[in-house]
Amino acid sequence: MVGMKNTNDMDNSYLNNDMSATGEIGSEITIENLSIQFPDKDGGAPVVALQNVNLEIKPGEFITLVGPSGCGKTTLLRTIADLQQPTTGSVNIRGKSPREIRKEKKFGIVFQNPVLYDWRTVRRNVCMPMELMGIPKKERTARVTKMLELVGLYDFGTKYPHELSGGMQQRVGIARALAIRPEILLMDEPFSALDEFTKEKLHVDLLRIWSKTKKTIIFVTHNISEAVLLSDRVVVLSPHPGRVSAIVDIDLERPRGLEIKDTDKFNALVSKVRNSFEGV
Amino acid sequence: MNQIKKIVQSKQMVTFAWIIGLVAVWEIIASYVEKTKRTPDNVLPHLYQIVESVFSPDLVNGSQTAIQIVLSNAGITLFRAAIGFVIGTAIGFLLALLMNMFTAAEKIAFPYLMIIQMIPILGMAPIVLAITKDIDTSRIVIAAILTFYPVATNTLAGFKSVEKEKHELMYSLAARKRDIYKKLLIPSCMPYFFTGLKISAPMAITASILVDTLQGGGGLGCMLSQSLKHAMTIYVFWQIVFVGAIIGILSYALMTLLERLVSPNKKAKR
Amino acid sequence: MNKKKHRKITKDSVTSVLYPLLFGAVIVVLWQTQILHKILGTDTFVLPLPDRIFTIIGDNMGAIMENVKATVIVSLGGLILGSALGYLLGMIAMAFPKWGAGGLTVVSAFNAVPIIAIAPILNNLTKDFSEDANTRSMIAKTLVVTITCTVAMSINAFRGFTELKPFSLDLMKSYAANKATIFFKLRVPNSLPYVFTALRVSVPASIISALVSEYFAEYIIGVGRQIRENIVLAQYATAWAYIVVACAIGIVLYLILLFAEGILLKNRRPRWKSV
Repeated sequence: MVGMKNTNDMDNSYLNNDMSATGEIGSEITIENLSIQFPDKDGGAPVVALQNVNLEIKPGEFITLVGPSGCGKTTLLRTIADLQQPTTGSVNIRGKSPREIRKEKKFGIVFQNPVLYDWRTVRRNVCMPMELMGIPKKERTARVTKMLELVGLYDFGTKYPHELSGGMQQRVGIARALAIRPEILLMDEPFSALDEFTKEKLHVDLLRIWSKTKKTIIFVTHNISEAVLLSDRVVVLSPHPGRVSAIVDIDLERPRGLEIKDTDKFNALVSKVRNSFEGV
Repeated sequence: MNQIKKIVQSKQMVTFAWIIGLVAVWEIIASYVEKTKRTPDNVLPHLYQIVESVFSPDLVNGSQTAIQIVLSNAGITLFRAAIGFVIGTAIGFLLALLMNMFTAAEKIAFPYLMIIQMIPILGMAPIVLAITKDIDTSRIVIAAILTFYPVATNTLAGFKSVEKEKHELMYSLAARKRDIYKKLLIPSCMPYFFTGLKISAPMAITASILVDTLQGGGGLGCMLSQSLKHAMTIYVFWQIVFVGAIIGILSYALMTLLERLVSPNKKAKR
Repeated sequence: MNKKKHRKITKDSVTSVLYPLLFGAVIVVLWQTQILHKILGTDTFVLPLPDRIFTIIGDNMGAIMENVKATVIVSLGGLILGSALGYLLGMIAMAFPKWGAGGLTVVSAFNAVPIIAIAPILNNLTKDFSEDANTRSMIAKTLVVTITCTVAMSINAFRGFTELKPFSLDLMKSYAANKATIFFKLRVPNSLPYVFTALRVSVPASIISALVSEYFAEYIIGVGRQIRENIVLAQYATAWAYIVVACAIGIVLYLILLFAEGILLKNRRPRWKSV
């Protein structure tokens, strides 16, 4: 027990150094006065999905957007990904617009459904985005192998999606998103359709992958404990209208394992997040 | 013992039993017809009589035996049907592509695609012949019309069935339109496209045989009419019934085979 | 999300109606101005002008209606008989699934058999059924349509009886429901959308089979036969009048089907897709 704590401390200090080093560059993503309204289908008053959101995300940060349905968390993620246009306000990624970043193919997206092409094998699914980018075949093959090793699916490369379990399919989705070496990984409730055991396994994997790849991750979930376990900061969104009601710093040490969920500090943070919701 | 039981209860066995059953029903009716009708050959001959006629060396029209006539004319019919089918498939696929690319094209064509499946195209065969004045052209035209709309509607349905998230994935990768079609839309619509082909392949053959009956000049339908009018033995007609059925079923089977070749992962669920 | 949509006139809905209407108008104008004839390389004798076709329909209303009646009786009669028979076969197949499914595989092969091959057989088979040539021709034609419609309905009805929602059968069993209750409370309602899937295929098919079987029938009556007879007599304008009528029959019957479907499946729409 003592030994373990020691290694944790060591790794933690290494990570902290890394964070402070990159922290000086400033923020990766700046969201200013962002509001989004959807026109009502019945011709009534427009629905306010997000109201006056301000947020700064640091490079390499793991940030989670958490909230109940209708709080605009997915809308916020989609706006960062240029899948949704702001009504007012702006999203700025390293001085560029989301559209420019998207055109540079710097986003990796993981959806709630794995969204795999059922006519392609696992390998060719991971390969697909690289084909679009015109990466040479040799390089593609090497990267696919590396990515599948990273998500622990190397032996399943020649299988088709329907031959895999839900958890494995989602891993393929993560490998595919990482294969293009994105600078920002956007994950929209990626584990919410999975059972609790599979989910926990993927939590551990994602923490490992993140510590290896050092990507900025924006993660959307409605699961508070998942948010606390994974993130550096939890952005709490409340509905009607969708708004940021709190930002909770998760100062749990890293690297984290599932055992951290049994600590009082973890539970205190979960309570803190839970109590930050308004009007639910 | 178990092995035998397994074979007896297998799916193929059930199908086989049904075919035997159908043959039995045919034979019972044929025996009844034989006793009660003056010309049983015209009404319903025994199956063995039809099989016999296939192997009969008698020349029916001076130079060919019955089966030679049937097979050579089946070739003519099938060839024309195939040309019409290929043209219709190409037009249908391109129309679906256009309708998916341009909203205006979809708006213009969609109501007409709906109407065309309500109206009896086959009934228009004689007038198409009158306009084109050529039996081969009209065969191809009718087969093409009957092929193009199931292909167009099914392919379009295939394009539309692609999940929003798959589109968003392509969008997030800033994929070019060409790549979206090549990597996502066209592979996704393949099962739908083949559904269209499976519907239209037997239809193209039916159309081709029907157009044959409108005028002399060869083809299964032409021989069928002549045989019914007793210009040659009635067994030519019975052979055509079976050959027509077999090529209809084979055309369907061929499309299934093509689909398997094109998309090896056929077990995929969607 | 399931809020009832108000019918709002948008630019989109206007163009959806306007574009096809414009397209149709362009075709009619090209036809009436004979430009269409130049494109197709034909003349107004083979392809008469629209106004002439409609004049002929007006002038021959009596004769046309008589032929329409003959065709509609055959297609509807065959459609009803065939669909009823098909539904029954689907039921039998459901009762003995192992043998039933195999039987339906064989039946589905009939889908690929050209109608043209079936029509003459039935003509000959029914020769002694009646003294009256018209009556026995009617029987033969109706039987052709019946066969076409039986195939489509039996396969779909079987699927409708057996492709139940997960656990719905378990739910019925947990109430200790007997087979009859399961059949009427679960399987029959479940089969309804499938019945309409079959009808969407069989309604147009029934008209096509009726028209084609008229070609081979002994007695000369029906819209399809009139198209052919008039072309043989080189009365192209009259033939066109019958073509227009044939299309009208097809469209009217299909619209009636869509209307019935709209009423009967009103609240079940999302469960299955159109097209």
